[in-house]
Amino acid sequence: MAGGSVFECKEYLFKVLVIGELGVGKTSIIKRYVHQLFSQHYRATIGVDFALKVINWDSKTLVRLQLWDIAGQERFGNMTRVYYKEAVGAFVVFDVTRGSTFEAVSKWKHDLDSKVKLANGNPIPSVLLANKCDQKKESSNNTALMDNFCKETGFLGWFETSAKDNINVDEAARFLVENILANDKGLPYEESNGDRIKLDQETVAAESKSGCC
Amino acid sequence: SNIALFTCVYICSHQFAKKLIGLQHGHEILCCIICKPSICCMCVCLCNPLPSLHRQRSLPHRPPLIPLVARMADQNTSGTPAMTEREASRLDKFKQLLAGPNTDLEELRKLSWSGIPRQVRPITWKLLSGYLPANAERRESVLQRKRQEYFGFIQQYYDSRNDEHHQDTYRQIHIDIPRTNPLIPLFQQASVQEIFERILFIWAIRHPASGYVQGINDLVTPFFVVYVFEYIEEEVENFDVSSLQEEALRNIEADSFWCMSKLLDGIQDNYTFAQPGIQRKVKALEELVSRIDESVHRHMQQYEVEYLQFAFRWMNNLLMRELPLRCTIRLWDTYQAEPEGFSHFHLYVCAAFLVRWRKEILEERDFQGLMILLQNLPTMHWGNEEVSVLLAEAYRLKFAFADAPNHYKR
Repeated sequence: MAGGSVFECKEYLFKVLVIGELGVGKTSIIKRYVHQLFSQHYRATIGVDFALKVINWDSKTLVRLQLWDIAGQERFGNMTRVYYKEAVGAFVVFDVTRGSTFEAVSKWKHDLDSKVKLANGNPIPSVLLANKCDQKKESSNNTALMDNFCKETGFLGWFETSAKDNINVDEAARFLVENILANDKGLPYEESNGDRIKLDQETVAAESKSGCC
Repeated sequence: SNIALFTCVYICSHQFAKKLIGLQHGHEILCCIICKPSICCMCVCLCNPLPSLHRQRSLPHRPPLIPLVARMADQNTSGTPAMTEREASRLDKFKQLLAGPNTDLEELRKLSWSGIPRQVRPITWKLLSGYLPANAERRESVLQRKRQEYFGFIQQYYDSRNDEHHQDTYRQIHIDIPRTNPLIPLFQQASVQEIFERILFIWAIRHPASGYVQGINDLVTPFFVVYVFEYIEEEVENFDVSSLQEEALRNIEADSFWCMSKLLDGIQDNYTFAQPGIQRKVKALEELVSRIDESVHRHMQQYEVEYLQFAFRWMNNLLMRELPLRCTIRLWDTYQAEPEGFSHFHLYVCAAFLVRWRKEILEERDFQGLMILLQNLPTMHWGNEEVSVLLAEAYRLKFAFADAPNHYKR
C-alpha cells in the first residue's frame, strides 16, 4: 500500500456475477449477503436481478459490489454475454443435494470464461459455492476432490455455504473481493477502466480457505 | 354509442368513490361522491390526452388499504362492498350481451376494454380468447370435448414425466411451482401445485420448439384464479380448493390449460430458443421510449442502463412481476379485448409504464440507483385506477406513435 496522506480514501466499484443451475439458491445467497435475510419464498429469477452491497473494506477503502443474479435457466443464447459484460468476479453456485447441478458447474464456468475476460486476457476470478450445506445428507469428506476440481476448472477456491443458516456467505464474498482487489491494487475505480494487473493464480490458490465448512 | 372506451379519471384522495354523472363527447364523466362539489376533484379526461398524464397526478394519500395480494380477483379494489351505480350498469350491459343466443364478440371486446366485472369475467375471458364459441348452444359441447381432450393428454403423456427425455423439463417445472406466487396461500396447496405441474408439463411437451421456459408458470395464474372464482363467492386467496367438487377442479384445470395455450400461441416466439420475440420487443421498447420521452431515454443512456436489464422480465412475464396479481387480471381484460393485446399492445403498456416513473427515474443519479428502482417499482398499492390510467396512456401512445416512426421526434 502506498503510504499516502491520511485523507486518501479509495472507492471501488466491482461487478460480480452469480451463476449456476436453476433453484440452487443464487438469489438466496445474495439476499442473505446484502439484506441478512432468508426466505423459502423467492420467486424464480427472470433475466437478471440486480443488488448492491457496500463494504467498508478498511479505514481507507470503500467497495461497492454490484451483484448480478443471473437466471438459472439457460435459454438465452447470446443474452448471457450482455449480462456478463465488464464483470470482474463471479460465483458459480451448485446445490449439494442435487448432483446434476454440480455436473453443470463446468458448463457455467466455460460459458463465463468464453464470454468475459480481464483486460489482460485472463479469466475473471471466480469462486465455487457448494450451497445448501445445511441439508447435506452425510458428512463425506470431499475436500481433496473439490480442491482438485477447482484447480482443474480454474476456480480460486470453493466454500460450502448455506444461505439459510448463514454459513460462509460473508467469508466467500470476502475471499472473492480480496482477489478482485489484488487484481486491482493501486488502481481506484475511476482510473482502472479494466486495465488490471495479471492474476497470479498460484499465489491466490495457496491462500485459499477452500473447504473450510 | 354510450359505450365509452375511455373513462374520465378523477384524481382525489377518494378516488374509488365515484358516480357516473353524464356523458360528454360520448365519454363517461364521473364524479367523486364524497368531495363533490369540492374543488379537490381534478378531472383529467383521457379523451383529451395531456402530454404526460402522470405529471398531473399527485400521489393519492390514502391509507394502505390494499394488502399485497388481497382482493386479487376483485374488479373493485375500493373496499366498498356495494357496487356503484356505474358498476351495476356495466354489469347489466355485459349480462345483456351474454344472454343472447349469439354473443356479439365485437361488442363484447368494446365493453371489456375498460374492465370486466368479476361476476362475468370467467365466461367473458373464455369467449374473448376464442376458447368458447359465440354461439351459446354450442358452448357446453365444446367445453366437454376440450376438457376430455385435455385429460386425454394427461393420460397419454403425464406418466412420461420421469422418462429420460422429459425429466429435465419436469424437474424444472417441479422446482418452479412452489415458488410461483409464494406469498399466496392458495398456491401453496398440494392439489393446486399438482394442477400447475400437469398444465405446464403437457404444454411444454406439446410445444417442443420452446418447451418449458421460466415465466410461463406465472402465466397460468390469472386464468386459474379467474376460473376458480366461477365456483366460489368468497375471497380466493385463502380459499381451500379441497372444498370444491372434484369435477369443478378438473374443469378449472382444463379451462386454464386451454386459455393459457391460446395466449401462448400468440407470443410463442417469446419462448423459442434465444427468445427472439423478447429481444425484438425490448429493442422496440427502447426505440419507442426514445421518441416519447427523450429525457428519460437519455438519462438511462447516460448511466448505461440497458433496457434488456430490466425490460426482459417485463416482456417474459407480461409485467406480472411488476404488478400485483389483481392488476394483472384487470390488465388482461384489456389485452383480451384489444387486437394483438398480448403480442403487440403490451409494448405500449410497457412504454407507458416506464414513462409513468419518469420523475423517480430522473432523480436517480447512478446506475445502481436506477437498476434498483427499475427492478422494484413501487406498485404494491396499485389497483384498477392505476391500471386504467396506464392503459389509457398506452392506447394514446399506440395511436400517436405506431405508424409514424419519426413524426413526433423533436
